[in-house]
Amino acid sequence: MAKQDAGLSQEIILEVRNLTKRFPGIVACDNISLDIRKGEIYALLGENGAGKSTLASMIFGLYQPDEGQIYIRGQAVSIDSPNEAVALDIGMVHQHFKLVSNYTVAENIILGDEPRKKALGLFPYVDIKSAEARIEQLSRDYGLEVDPRAVIHDLGVSTQQRVEILKMLYRDAEILIFDEPTAMLTPQEIESLLQIIKNLRDQGKTVIFITHKLDEVMEVCDRCAILVRGKLVDISNTADTSPRELASKMVGRDIEFSAKRPTKGMGDTILEVEGLRVEDANGFPKVNDVSFKVHAGEIFAVAGVSGSGQTELADAIAGLAKTKKGDIKLKGHSLSKMNVRKRSEDGIAYIPEDRQSVGLVLDFCLDQNLALKSYYRKPYCKTSLLKPVAFSEHAKGLIDDFDIRCARGPKTITREMSGGNQQKAIVGREIDQGADLLIFVQPTRGLDIGAIMAIRERILDERDKGKAVLLISLELDEVMDLADTIGVMYAGQMLKVAAAADLSMNQVGEFMMGVTGNE
Amino acid sequence: MSILDVNYAAILVDGLSFALPLLIIAIGGIYSERSGIVNLALEGLLGFGAFVGALFVASTAGLFAAHSDLPMYFSFLFAAIGGGMFAVIHAVLCIKFMANQVISGVVINILSVALTGFFTSTINANFFGQASERFMLQTSPRWDIPFLMDIPILGAAFTRVYPFMLIILVVATFFWYLLYKTQFGMRVRAAGDNPQALDAAGVNVSRVRFGAVVISGVLAGIGGMSFAYSISTNFSPAIYMGFGFLAIAALIFGNWKIIPTFAACLIFGLTRSAAFNLLPVFDASAAVLDLALAAPFVVTLVLLAVFGKKNMAPRALGDVYDKSKR
Repeated sequence: MAKQDAGLSQEIILEVRNLTKRFPGIVACDNISLDIRKGEIYALLGENGAGKSTLASMIFGLYQPDEGQIYIRGQAVSIDSPNEAVALDIGMVHQHFKLVSNYTVAENIILGDEPRKKALGLFPYVDIKSAEARIEQLSRDYGLEVDPRAVIHDLGVSTQQRVEILKMLYRDAEILIFDEPTAMLTPQEIESLLQIIKNLRDQGKTVIFITHKLDEVMEVCDRCAILVRGKLVDISNTADTSPRELASKMVGRDIEFSAKRPTKGMGDTILEVEGLRVEDANGFPKVNDVSFKVHAGEIFAVAGVSGSGQTELADAIAGLAKTKKGDIKLKGHSLSKMNVRKRSEDGIAYIPEDRQSVGLVLDFCLDQNLALKSYYRKPYCKTSLLKPVAFSEHAKGLIDDFDIRCARGPKTITREMSGGNQQKAIVGREIDQGADLLIFVQPTRGLDIGAIMAIRERILDERDKGKAVLLISLELDEVMDLADTIGVMYAGQMLKVAAAADLSMNQVGEFMMGVTGNE
Repeated sequence: MSILDVNYAAILVDGLSFALPLLIIAIGGIYSERSGIVNLALEGLLGFGAFVGALFVASTAGLFAAHSDLPMYFSFLFAAIGGGMFAVIHAVLCIKFMANQVISGVVINILSVALTGFFTSTINANFFGQASERFMLQTSPRWDIPFLMDIPILGAAFTRVYPFMLIILVVATFFWYLLYKTQFGMRVRAAGDNPQALDAAGVNVSRVRFGAVVISGVLAGIGGMSFAYSISTNFSPAIYMGFGFLAIAALIFGNWKIIPTFAACLIFGLTRSAAFNLLPVFDASAAVLDLALAAPFVVTLVLLAVFGKKNMAPRALGDVYDKSKR
């Protein structure tokens, strides 16, 4: 700790002392003390539910601490609302962006702090022109490429995130809090975001970076505080530590990093896709002439950058999207005349990308969600009456098998569960179908390491039991770790299909960008 | 009567005199809905506004000179205040008590019919000493606009215009400016798309929505008063003819934007006046006249069926905003 980079100031800009926050039944933050220096990138590292976001929310005035004190530049402050945080030059990029979708970038940035002028010295109006000029200046200064006149709903996730960053800069924020900023981004976008965060630091801003991804901490952060179940367990200089060390501190046990486990041998063809074409509402092909086969005992992983047609492919197989051309066969017979339920009964399990809106009914109890695919059959339903006991018995079994953590057992409202446990519930429900084909779309997105490992292990187990697995993932690591066969999609086409052993990570990356000249 | 005898100028000016009150009511609806509050109460608001305006005229009859137009101008002011006050009920129910916005709107419509009917009869009986369920108004003057009326064909739109048409044009322009150019308008539109974003920007969402709902009452009141002058020259519960709902159709058809909504109102207004003015050509009976009254609604159905797909309602329309839920 004694030796610091020459550029790094020793001035403490933010200090929290003995901060405690309790929620009913849980201590979210337990006596946490930190000090953050001006001009550093400071990571708050921990699994979901470790208390990182609660801590940041107290700094940003969204929650008030039950005990403890926050100091800004040495001054004791009480931050009762985000407005007061902004007045103290604190800004925050939330995990879910707070943007008005039909407003331009500039309108979103100035909202709440609109520059005003008077036309003819009489009629007040919002001076959007000068705001646009200032935003252009800011985006040049910090390397944040954004057109202030673009409308939000036309912009991708990473651009919207840049708008959120500009919002903070527009209000002259000095302490910038990023809450899981990379959760929604593709690898390329993550790269450019990390660069932006470095730029911000180099311009003298202080960054608080909330994450559970170790590689990001290692790449950009100067120091990192590790939280486990509300307690601060360690503060490290990233230069003096390793990902493995951080991971074991964060999870509280040693982590096996690579789950590589090859197939025990492939069996019959389970899924056969032939010349598949899926179109969007405007007749634009999202999946274009795609053909491939998945065999029993095989994990076929589809790689590709976001929006290459993977989601539509999975939806078409599950029956959620219309097949325009081509055919999909399961165990040799065509699915084209079957609706979603028939396909599910025929042997397709589907873990959808959007677990909250497609995979679950959030306001239902856990036991009902676990029976969503079978509630209409015996033993859940007899002579048109639902049998609650069968629901909860079934749920209890899955809760044990899949280690689904839920405060009130089968009767827990699913919305109250953490994202990781919601996903475990879906995975449990789908595997429990005993289907021949399992489709996993982004199965580990946004989850913490513990849950990721558990779900990956399940995928491998199912494969080893002789199931066919179609895995669609934006995480290249995940594809490389799990796949027996890799298919790379680019702009709706299956650009390359090859055994995983024959492809390097770099090659897959190039195919993902549409490069085919490397053969 | 042949097709040549039809008064085409009347079609134009009658159409406008129907379209403009409809527009100002619809702008009221746009304010409320762009802020995120469903407003099915426009019908009740326009009726209550007209009731308050007409009550002012009836109760001050002796104070003004016999043929003065002043009571008429004041009646619009009072109609605006009455509509705005009645809208406070909707605002309080929907924003403070987080009631279901559809139910609140329906209840206000029913309440408005009941209250105005009751008060009109009792006030007439107890204060003016006559058994009547209506407040009589003076006939509105009608103006020819110099120069503009001389334009060929379109000039007809500038002959025999009601003063309220000019009032509405001024008020509508002001509220267009307020919605699209000012800080308040920007916040109203943000509240209906993403109230969380507005809240995060440090703006009180409830206050913005409250203001927008009250504005919807003010504008509906002005529109209701106009109908009272143009259609019946009195206030009676007969004013509840579904024009508030037609205004909702217009604003939906206009995609919650003021200028396209104006176009929708013009279509409705001209359909209605054309139906009225063309009927005599076909020697139609009174029963057919009833059918003609439905013309704008039929047009609505057809237009919504054709263009309904393209509609983009405000994203947070109907969402209760509970600050404590993040």
